[in-house]
Amino acid sequence: MSTLLEVSGVSVTFDGFRAINNLSISIGQAELRAVIGPNGAGKTTFMDIITGKTKPDVGRVIWGPRSLSLLDMSESEIARQGIGRKFQKPTVFEAQTVRENLAMALKNPRGPFDVLFYRKSRATAARIDEIAEEIGLTDDLPRRAGDLSHGQKQWLEIGMLLAQDPQLLLVDEPAAGMTPAEREHTTALLVRAAQTRAVVVVEHDMEFVRRLNCKVTVLHEGSVLAEGSLDHVTKNQDVIDVYLGR
Amino acid sequence: MIFRLVCVAFAICLGLSAARAQAPATPLQDVLQQNADAVANPSRGTVDSLIAALLESDLDGVPVFLERWRDRAVYQRVSDGLFFFGTATDGGFDLTDVDTGADAGRATSTEVSELRPNAGVRRVIGGALVAFQLLDNDPARRVAALDAIARSPSDDQLGPLRRSIEDEPDPALKDRKIRLERLLAARYAESEAERITAIESLRGDLGVDARAVLNLILTSSPAVFATMPTDRNIAAVLTPGSDDLSEEAAYDQLVSADLAPPLTGVEPIKAALIAAIDGGQVAGIPVASLTTDDARESAYEALAAAGAVPPLVTLEDQAASLATHSFVLLYAEPNKAITDAARETLDAIGMQVARNQAADLALDGLSLASIYFLAAIGLAITFGVMGVINMAHGEFIMMGAYTGYVVQLFIPDYTLSLIVALPLAFAVTFGAGVAMERLVIRWLYHRPLETLLATFGISIALQQLAKNIFGTQARPLTSPAWLSGNLTFNEVVSISMIRVAIFVLALMFLGLLIYILKRTRLGLEVRAVTQNPGMAASMGINPDRINMLTFGLGSGIAGIAGVAIGLYAKVTSEMGSEYIVQSFMTVVVGGVGNVWGTLAGATLIGFLQKGIEFFNPSNTLAAQTFMILFIILFIQFRPKGIVALKGRAAGD
Amino acid sequence: MTRSFIAKNPSVLWFLLALSVFSIAVTLLSEATGTGLISTSFVKTLGKTLCLCLIAIAMDVVWGYCGILSLGHFAFFGLGGYAIGMWLMYARTELIVVESLANAALPPTDKEVVDAIASQIFGVVGASEFPLIWSFAHSLTLQLAMVVLVPGLLALVFGWLAFRSRVTGVYLSILTQAMTLALSLYLFQNDSGLRGNNGLSGLQNIPGLDAVPQSVISIAFFWASAVALGVGYVLFAWVVSGKMGSVIRAIRDNESRVRFLGYHVESYKLFVFTLTAIVAAIAGALYYPQAGIINPAEIAPIASIYLAVWVAIGGRGRLYGAVIGAAFVSLLSSWFTGGSAPAVNLGFYTINWTDWWLVLLGVSFVAVTLFFPKGIGGLFDLIVLKPVADRQGDYGPDKGAWRKEEGEP
Repeated sequence: MSTLLEVSGVSVTFDGFRAINNLSISIGQAELRAVIGPNGAGKTTFMDIITGKTKPDVGRVIWGPRSLSLLDMSESEIARQGIGRKFQKPTVFEAQTVRENLAMALKNPRGPFDVLFYRKSRATAARIDEIAEEIGLTDDLPRRAGDLSHGQKQWLEIGMLLAQDPQLLLVDEPAAGMTPAEREHTTALLVRAAQTRAVVVVEHDMEFVRRLNCKVTVLHEGSVLAEGSLDHVTKNQDVIDVYLGR
Repeated sequence: MIFRLVCVAFAICLGLSAARAQAPATPLQDVLQQNADAVANPSRGTVDSLIAALLESDLDGVPVFLERWRDRAVYQRVSDGLFFFGTATDGGFDLTDVDTGADAGRATSTEVSELRPNAGVRRVIGGALVAFQLLDNDPARRVAALDAIARSPSDDQLGPLRRSIEDEPDPALKDRKIRLERLLAARYAESEAERITAIESLRGDLGVDARAVLNLILTSSPAVFATMPTDRNIAAVLTPGSDDLSEEAAYDQLVSADLAPPLTGVEPIKAALIAAIDGGQVAGIPVASLTTDDARESAYEALAAAGAVPPLVTLEDQAASLATHSFVLLYAEPNKAITDAARETLDAIGMQVARNQAADLALDGLSLASIYFLAAIGLAITFGVMGVINMAHGEFIMMGAYTGYVVQLFIPDYTLSLIVALPLAFAVTFGAGVAMERLVIRWLYHRPLETLLATFGISIALQQLAKNIFGTQARPLTSPAWLSGNLTFNEVVSISMIRVAIFVLALMFLGLLIYILKRTRLGLEVRAVTQNPGMAASMGINPDRINMLTFGLGSGIAGIAGVAIGLYAKVTSEMGSEYIVQSFMTVVVGGVGNVWGTLAGATLIGFLQKGIEFFNPSNTLAAQTFMILFIILFIQFRPKGIVALKGRAAGD
Repeated sequence: MTRSFIAKNPSVLWFLLALSVFSIAVTLLSEATGTGLISTSFVKTLGKTLCLCLIAIAMDVVWGYCGILSLGHFAFFGLGGYAIGMWLMYARTELIVVESLANAALPPTDKEVVDAIASQIFGVVGASEFPLIWSFAHSLTLQLAMVVLVPGLLALVFGWLAFRSRVTGVYLSILTQAMTLALSLYLFQNDSGLRGNNGLSGLQNIPGLDAVPQSVISIAFFWASAVALGVGYVLFAWVVSGKMGSVIRAIRDNESRVRFLGYHVESYKLFVFTLTAIVAAIAGALYYPQAGIINPAEIAPIASIYLAVWVAIGGRGRLYGAVIGAAFVSLLSSWFTGGSAPAVNLGFYTINWTDWWLVLLGVSFVAVTLFFPKGIGGLFDLIVLKPVADRQGDYGPDKGAWRKEEGEP
């Protein structure tokens, strides 16, 4: 399994508070990975660093077969490299329709003039329908995203993530606010996505993580506490002390 | 003037004492009569012995006489040859006695002859007078004499001045005499060594007059030579075409020294051609074809070849002439050792003046910084706590200033009115701020851009209201007498008391705000709301109340700033808009939500503005332009200002 | 494509129709070509108003759609006016100078002509030579290019600097305001090369058209303004519809989310900022020949703030709203300040509108912001759209973009 993303020796300090402390994680080409940890363990900051929102004080973040450093890139460049992110709180463009939201996310040239002279084609329309089908929003395509329910917004955001067709998906608490049936659907979707690309899921819900049935990384105070299968890490005494035991 | 009055008083005293003596003693008249011819027809040859005789007599009336004599107010009666002081009245002269000052009747212009000492004689008389005055018992007259010397120094004053130093009882006056002696000696002393010593003793003297003396010694004038002279005191050799001497100026020198013919420029060619127009042709060339300078030049050359005009002197000729001459600046002072010493001393003084100017500039910058701090801190607080920009902040400053003006209408005592105006301005603008927050801003939280525009609406309404109430002309806000002077450190460094007071006020507010923010419950709550409004609300802090109070506080400080600004600037309905942009800049540069940030921003902007104005003093508009460009660039490097909140608190 | 564009944006058709009807009506009523019911000066006012409408839709795109509250667009407007004014002034002075030199003993050289023009133009500021920025003033083509290039470049450079350092929200507004202030202060100087506070004048006299009466020229400019407004409207309607509009509005509502979708937000902002700046400049180039004079006071920050006020009153986020706001407020403003509005006698006090208009404007602007955030254009929603449910509130400028994001630098 070749490495897609390599985070090594990364530290971040906010006003004296060490959010990430010498963190090293590597993610494979087509891998499903769950990242768990108590509040303040640095899960979101970890994602911020990969997506370029936060610049680390020290450390390296190496991406892809050509071993590019993500630290020199802006957020949009990183996104164009093929890293998609779903936020904890669903952030869709509420004033626009579901179709517009998806069309914006669709993998296409991102330059202003490409977009200005962009013409709809059958292929893109078909792709949008396909994604809408997958996330169960076919009937809602002309609706404004702001009118969707919370769960539907989560789906829309996942749909936008899929539309980007990224090589690495960073998913922050995807199952929050979903019904059990929806969770199941989400699990299936993530597992399917992980067959062709890398998926990193940050999640609190142990049941959800168990259902993903993948390698788990436990973060604590900004660094990796344990790594392995869920069963393996739940038996780890450190993990029990800081997280599960409480 | 004072000198004159003193003279008159002196004369009256003399008259009184003479009257008491009962005997008409006329000692001065006697001395004058002994030298009657020298007095009546003074010349450079005779005046010295006459003055020596007068001095020898040691009479009290001598200085007054000398003065009147110099001022051509002494008359000789034709009938008996006696001398009188006289004043011309219509058609005749009122005469007074030279000794007693008593009225001596009237005379017509035929009965008396006016004594008219010539300029040379008057100079000698003046010198003698100075000697008297410098030794006078009345300090006021000695001061007046020193003033007179400082005003128009001359070589003959040096001797009397030196002689008067030793017996000078007043230490301050003695210092002044010594300094004046140095200044005179630098220019007029006999020997080279003496002058150089005097010049070098001026080192460290910041007075304008010292620099003026040195500059006089260093006076130079341009000159041109075919070969470089060796026996002249040359200040500088100039190269034509350099910044100091343009080629045109150099050539003009040559022309005016008759060393070269004037250049045949565009205008002379044109004039010559027009003069030579003959039947639509010039030297056989049709006039209509002379539409380029080249064509005109060749037509002129054709004329010159025919001998009708002097030959063309071109730029090449000019360059050739310039190359064969030397252009120099010559010192008026022939002695090189002296000019060198003066140059060195002047440079040293220049350095010192520059250092002091820097200090003065720093003081100006500090005062401007404190004004900006006062104007901006209220804005910074409201922006920091509530995230809203109050475009009407400038109008609150204006309201404060007008409050001060209205208070002065009712309380004529300026000190008292200031004491009343400051808290009242705070109260008025605090109320206005709270009202605005309650009525408008609180409905617009989460919409900062709309707040900006709504407060702008309030700003134009308030500005126009003020215009309707107080009119368009500037209203005075007079400062009390104790604030009207200057605080002077030396000849270069000084600052007006109002600015010192504003600085103190700014310091007080800095202290007060830091106390409120760091040491009080209100400050704690304000800081909590600044850093995380949601969390603060969930901890039982009522953000509504905090917002209202902070807005009131910010506005109140603007009111106080208004009174302070009104004291030195004019109070108009538009004064707020003059400060609002600078206040924004201060907040943006300093960083949001932090008193120290505002302080840093105000300091940077104040000093920068003064600095730019120093380098470009004639053009405050350009200074402001550069200032803003600088700020736009500054934002590139520190988008969050000098003192930026970092990490999660900053909200990214 | 075109069909679907019109079909998707019915307001474009309605707008063009209304504009045509209005223009024809004015033409028929004007002194030059019609009954003379509308005076030449009022035709000029209407033509100027059309130019203001054009810059207002540019402002609407940059603010209402892209969320950048630019308080500097009048700088571009003014620069456009200066650019065309330089040619107008140069060409006209050249005609006068050539005429007066024709009687001279010697025919003038080119240099003499240029020098004479320069001393004519710069006499008021005590200069007699053309500064470098007048290098192209002799050529209408080049100077027309300057109308677009100079403001475009300024917007490009300024925007690049500002957006690159991620200055947003009120910070950006203040920065744009500072830019305008710097420019107007610079132009106020006599040695700026643009005649200091005298500005450029006599622009209503079109060189070579001295024989044509002003009434005809005013109608010509009126039509030019109307065509420019129509073209500008279609252009912007095209830009803000479709995917570009989608991305721009997304940037307005949540800039960082757009970034994570892989869009280079700064380029988009720069594109919108520069495009609107160029349109603003064209509006200015049409406005000032009708106004006759341009001076640095026109560029003062207050003008750009008024522009924002027009757009806000008309209704942001819809192009026709901006047009309505600009036309309504600027015409009303000239009615009130021109002294035509009848004074109101309250018995104890007479309200003189020249004194009280600004108070009224300020207060009604606050009222619009508080109570009618959709502006006048919002009235059309009552006719056209069904009311829609607001589920979440925190979207769009109507409900305000995110306070947190906007408050950040």
